[in-house]
Amino acid sequence: MTAPIDILLVEDNEGDVHLTQEALKSAKVRNRVHTASDGVEAMQFLRREGPFTDAPRPDLVLLDLNLPNMDGREVLEEMKADESLRTIPVVVVTSSAAEQDIVRTYALNANCYVTKPVDLKQFLHVIGSVGDFWLQIVKLPPKDA
Amino acid sequence: MPDATAETALLRAEIAALEQLLEIQERTVAEQTERLDVKAAELRRSNYALEQFAYVISHDLQEPLRMVAAYTELLRESYQGKLDANADKYIGFASGGARRMQELINALLDYSRITTRGEELEPVALEGVVNDALENLALAIEESHAEIAREPLPWVRGDRVQLVRLVQNLVANALKFTEPDQSPRIQIRTTTCEREVSLSIADAGIGIDPRHHARIFEIFRRIHPKRFAGTGMGLAICQRIAERHGGSIRVESSVGKGSTFVVTLKLEEESS
Repeated sequence: MTAPIDILLVEDNEGDVHLTQEALKSAKVRNRVHTASDGVEAMQFLRREGPFTDAPRPDLVLLDLNLPNMDGREVLEEMKADESLRTIPVVVVTSSAAEQDIVRTYALNANCYVTKPVDLKQFLHVIGSVGDFWLQIVKLPPKDA
Repeated sequence: MPDATAETALLRAEIAALEQLLEIQERTVAEQTERLDVKAAELRRSNYALEQFAYVISHDLQEPLRMVAAYTELLRESYQGKLDANADKYIGFASGGARRMQELINALLDYSRITTRGEELEPVALEGVVNDALENLALAIEESHAEIAREPLPWVRGDRVQLVRLVQNLVANALKFTEPDQSPRIQIRTTTCEREVSLSIADAGIGIDPRHHARIFEIFRRIHPKRFAGTGMGLAICQRIAERHGGSIRVESSVGKGSTFVVTLKLEEESS
């Protein structure tokens, strides 16, 4: 059996963490969801610092934009500026449908931008589809890339 | 030649007076330009403030609202019929309220985007605008067996997307505010006076009491909230679009006599 795909979910809203985990449970590819509740924690996880020295390198990052401490845009900027982290695909998942956010995150080299649907069924469907697409259809870079 | 000297002096005096007048006018123009610049800067600031407000609404308010909506829905799915009848009713109220608030926030966002996200005004064929609006409403028109009569329409100066929205809102209202046992009858026509086009959309529906005429254009205003669904933003959006086009909107109506909405727009030469 192949190793499960590691997903880092950067999200401060516990309600959304729970819903996202539920949605990814039904993904066709086995996955482990790790969570960081703000940008600082996310960068520590990615760099295996602080409490995260044993953290795996995530295959995919699901990133909310509005976070306490260090927001999602800053995380994105730092990841894409870091040679060892820039190949990890970043999916921005946010409740904002504002053009300025969409344009800005793509300019920061986000791999895709998804707006969280308000409706529960749609939310589960969208997150499930994002999971299936990135875990099953897309060829991800190897862990040591 | 004393006469010539006198005439020269007179001419000189006239020129001096004219020069003085010109100077005063130039000063006035300069002052007015400055005032306009200040006004334009104020407008830009208030537009920016409005845009920021819309942004905050779209993000910061939707986030908690989404939680309420999602988890009441989850409660309903997991526990409907397993608690008592009151619990089912309360969950229903909560999720209905969350849905409603979402609609209102989206409508308010639409409203604020009319000025912040508008396109440049350009020549637009009203004919095409009405075609698009009716096409967007095709299902509602078919279901209500509406009869729509229209006359040839001119070109106007406008933002095509917004004009489609305006016509669509007015026609949708005409379809909606009709007695349930009657098929809507709608007439779309224009009259032109000098450079001003008056687009009128008339229906034979339930009509509006004249004491409500001014209020129907206010945001979130609904006259028959129990009888007809909606956010109460449709006509407020129409008015804002008309105003952005340098025009206006008014209604002629009384109860039981149908309603005619008249929008004034700027005439434009036909262009390819």
